[in-house]
Amino acid sequence: MAITFNQVSYEYDANSMWSQAALQGVNLHLESGILAGVAGATGSGKSTLLQMFNGILKPTSGTVQVLDITLKGGEKAPKLHQLRKRVGLVFQFPEQQLFEDTVEKDLCFGPINFGYSLEEAKDRARRAMEQMGLDLSLLSRNPFQLSGGQMRKVAIASVLTMDPEILVLDEPTATLDPVSRAELIQLLHRLCREDGRTVIIVTHRMDELLPFANQWIVLHEGLTVFQGTVKALIEQADRMESYGITIPQSIRYWRSLSEKFGWSEEDPCLSAEAMSKRIAHLVNSEDV
Amino acid sequence: MSEKLLIGRTIDTGSWVHSIDPRAKMVAMMLYVVIIILSNTWLEMAYVILFSLIIISLTRIHIKYFIRAAKPLWVLMLFIFIVQCIKVDDKNGAILLSIGSWNLYFEGFKLGLFSVLRMVFLVSFTAILTFTTTPGRLNQGLEGVLKPLKVVRVSPDRFTLMVSIALRFIPSILEEAQIILKAQASRGADLRELPWKEKGKMLVSLLVPVTVGAFRRAEDLVHSMESRGFRLGEPRTKYHRLVWRKRDTIFICFFIVMLVAMVWMSGYGTGELWTL
Ligand SMILES: Nc1ncnc2c1ncn2[C@@H]1O[C@H](COP(=O)(O)OP(=O)(O)OP(=O)(O)O)[C@@H](O)[C@H]1O
Ligand SMILES: [Mg+2]
Repeated sequence: MAITFNQVSYEYDANSMWSQAALQGVNLHLESGILAGVAGATGSGKSTLLQMFNGILKPTSGTVQVLDITLKGGEKAPKLHQLRKRVGLVFQFPEQQLFEDTVEKDLCFGPINFGYSLEEAKDRARRAMEQMGLDLSLLSRNPFQLSGGQMRKVAIASVLTMDPEILVLDEPTATLDPVSRAELIQLLHRLCREDGRTVIIVTHRMDELLPFANQWIVLHEGLTVFQGTVKALIEQADRMESYGITIPQSIRYWRSLSEKFGWSEEDPCLSAEAMSKRIAHLVNSEDV
Repeated sequence: MSEKLLIGRTIDTGSWVHSIDPRAKMVAMMLYVVIIILSNTWLEMAYVILFSLIIISLTRIHIKYFIRAAKPLWVLMLFIFIVQCIKVDDKNGAILLSIGSWNLYFEGFKLGLFSVLRMVFLVSFTAILTFTTTPGRLNQGLEGVLKPLKVVRVSPDRFTLMVSIALRFIPSILEEAQIILKAQASRGADLRELPWKEKGKMLVSLLVPVTVGAFRRAEDLVHSMESRGFRLGEPRTKYHRLVWRKRDTIFICFFIVMLVAMVWMSGYGTGELWTL
C-alpha cells in the first residue's frame, strides 16, 4: 500500500492566534499503481493534503504513512530526502515552483540533488521536455519569460525528470489549452498503466479525469467525505452538490441513460467516445 | 518563518484602545519613549511598569503576545546586559562573582538588568500600536502625524504610500521565499537536511529569485493601481476618515500625566535607596 492517512489534521500557523485549520481528521488509503482524482470545493484543503504526500507539510496531529516513511504529528520528522525522490509534487501555481534562471537549470535541479551526473540530468531534462511536448529551444530561456501554459508544462517536466514512483499534481491542467490538457491526462494515464506509477491529481474539471481515474477522493471543509471507485462516486453523486461540487456532465448523462436502460451493472462510460459507442451498440441491438 | 513574525499583525479584541485615533496612539508612543528614557531609578521604573501593565491590560490582548514581540531581540538584549556587566568597575562595590582577575560587580549587574528591562518594555509596549491598529489606519495616522512636514515641502502622502507598500511587501516577500524553499525541498534540497555550508549557499541562491519575484509583484501592483486611476499627489476621497474624539485626548493625557510625573521625580530625586 502506498499511502495511508490516519486522523490527519493540519493547521496553518499552529499555536498562534492566527491558526487556521485546513485539514481536520482526514482518513485515506491509496494502493500503489492507481490513478486517483481529488475533488473538492475551493478552500476544502486539497492543496494542503497534497503537500503532505512528500512531507512538505507535516501533520499537526495524526499519522501520515507514505511508502516506507511515517510522519507522526508532534514528532520530529525523519530524513525526507529519499521520500522526495520517490514522490514528485507539482504545485498548484507553476510560477511559484520555478526558481532557476534558465529552464534547463530548473529541470536539472532535481536530478542533480538526487545524485545524477550533469550529463544524465541534462539527458533527463531533454526527455521530459519531449514528454511534455515542449520545444527544446526553450531550454535556454528564463522560465519567467514563458507563457503561463509553457510554465505549467516546464513545472510538470521538472518533476518528471526525477522519475518518481508517486506523482502528485495540483490542478495540472488549469492553464493549458484543450489539446495539451488531453495530452497531459493521456501521458499521466500512460505513466500509471504502463510503468505502474501511482498518480494523484487534484482537479476542478472532473470530467476530463473521470474516464481514467480508478479512485476518487472528495474533500469538504478539511474532511474526506468520500473515497472510493468511480462506480461508488456515481451512486453517491447526489451528495456532491452539498459539498460545493456540481455533478460532472459525464456522470449526469451516464446516470440518466443507465437508469432508463438498466445499465447499472455495467462499467460506466464516461468519455464521449465510450458513451457514443455504447449508444451505437444500443441502437444496433434494438430495433428503433 | 512567518509564523514567528509578529510585526504588522493586528489582534482584534475590540477594546477601548483599538478604537483610539491612530494619530493619538502614535503621539502617545512617542511620549512613552521619552518616559522610558527619563526613568532612571528603580522606583521610577516600577511606576513605568505599573503604568505599562495597566495600558496593556486595557487592550485586552493576552500578555504573551507582548512578550513574544520582544523575543526576537533577545540577542541584542543579552549583548547589552553583558556589556553593562563588563563595563562597570567600581573598586569598592560589592562583588557578585569573580572569574580569574575579572569581577562582576553588583552595580554592573543591576545596571545591566535595568537596561534590559527598559528595552523589553520599550519594544513590548510599542507593539500596542501595531497590535491594536490595522495597517490602513496606521498609515492614515502616520499621514496625519507627518502633516507638519508639508511646511518644508515634503509630501506626507508620498512618504506614507511608500511606507505602506513597504509594509505590505514584507510578508509577501517572506511568503515568496517560503514558496521557493518548499519547491526546492520537494525536489531534493531541503534546507533543514543540508549541512551548514550548503545551507548558506541555498539561502544566497534564494536572493535572486526572491528579488525578481518582488519586482514582478511591484510591477503588477503599479499596473493594477494605475488601471484603477491612482495618481500620486492628486486629491483622493478617503474611505475612512479620522475623527478626533474626546477619548483620544484622554488617552494622550494619560501619557502626559505620566511624563510630567517622570520629569518631576527625576528633578527632585527620590531617595538614595532607590537611585541606581
Ligand atoms: N499559507 C496559508 N496560511 C494560512 N492558511 C492557509 C494557507 N494556505 C491555505 N490556507 C487555508 O487552508 C484552507 C485550505 O486551503 P487549500 O489551499 O488546501 O485549499 P484548496 O482545496 O487547494 O483550494 P483551491 O481549490 O482554491 O486550490 C483554506 O481555508 C485556506 O484559507
Ligand atoms: Mg489548491
